[in-house]
Amino acid sequence: MKDTLGTVAVGLLFGFCLHRIGFGSWDEVHKMFTFASLRLLLGFGGAVALLALGFALIAKLQHPKWAPRPIHKGTIPGGILFGVGWALCGACPSIALVQLGDGQWLSLLSLAGIVLGNALYAPIHARWLRFDSGTCAND
Amino acid sequence: MTYWPLWLCALALAGVALIHWLLLGRMFAVSGRFTALTDALRLRKKDSDSQTSLSQEELMEALRAATLAEFGLSEEQAATLDAELHVPVQPAPPLLPKPKQSAAVHLLFFVAIALGAALSAHLAGAHSDRALFFATFGHHPLALGTVLFGGGLLVGFGTRMAGGCTSGHGLCGVSRFQPGSLLATVSFFGAGILTSLLLGALR
Repeated sequence: MKDTLGTVAVGLLFGFCLHRIGFGSWDEVHKMFTFASLRLLLGFGGAVALLALGFALIAKLQHPKWAPRPIHKGTIPGGILFGVGWALCGACPSIALVQLGDGQWLSLLSLAGIVLGNALYAPIHARWLRFDSGTCAND
Repeated sequence: MTYWPLWLCALALAGVALIHWLLLGRMFAVSGRFTALTDALRLRKKDSDSQTSLSQEELMEALRAATLAEFGLSEEQAATLDAELHVPVQPAPPLLPKPKQSAAVHLLFFVAIALGAALSAHLAGAHSDRALFFATFGHHPLALGTVLFGGGLLVGFGTRMAGGCTSGHGLCGVSRFQPGSLLATVSFFGAGILTSLLLGALR
């Protein structure tokens, strides 16, 4: 129960923050990718820097068992497909939900695409690819 | 609408990822939740497909009778067969590691993200800007639908193939200097930059 409530609380906070940051705006994402505005790019970089400090501290205090994230055959092609898709629809996975909350109902199509693309990958991977893609779901 | 300044963006993104770990004991990774959710749907369907109308006992009884008939076994040999059949069977290992959170909780997380964004839009009295979006792709519903659905397909497929997205690789993986995350992040930012520059040139 605590886990469920905590998950909902983090989701609410995350959705609120993403909307205020501007990640739910196709225009802002486009300006980030074309360097027309450095706000999101540097904001993201700043977050990574803060997290590097935070996670280093957590690693020292808690000694957590974090799954390593090695390079595999899907790292580059998967990343490229994701990047092209993100630039087109303006949504990385959580952003489609932010856009829906913002009232962008057309983003239902992006969300449907994300769910379908994710589901389609599994049988294609099992049939033809068969490398360890190390999904975050195991963390 | 007016967005947060750079420093607040950095603080908020880092804060959410850290709170996710400290509160839930899990690394913050949104595409992983999509994977867990679609797997739960796919595998539940597969499980129900493979279920037969016979109970376990009825099935074993039928198999035993068929085996005896096929090989013409004596009662003595049948007793040996019975002993073998009653050896406790090792349960088959599951196809995938059992997800730590249920599909319902993943779904709740997604609904919460949308509600959080709706709250932000309501309090700000403003929505995310999309003028450039319409300037780039026009207003025809078919064109917009193709871009959004096609883009979404690439995002869903690509994030699962790369094993993570902006949260799991970009924020949490890069900040822990994980080689796979660094390479994935360079790949998706690079592809995003090239695609967007191309879209801008064509506009």
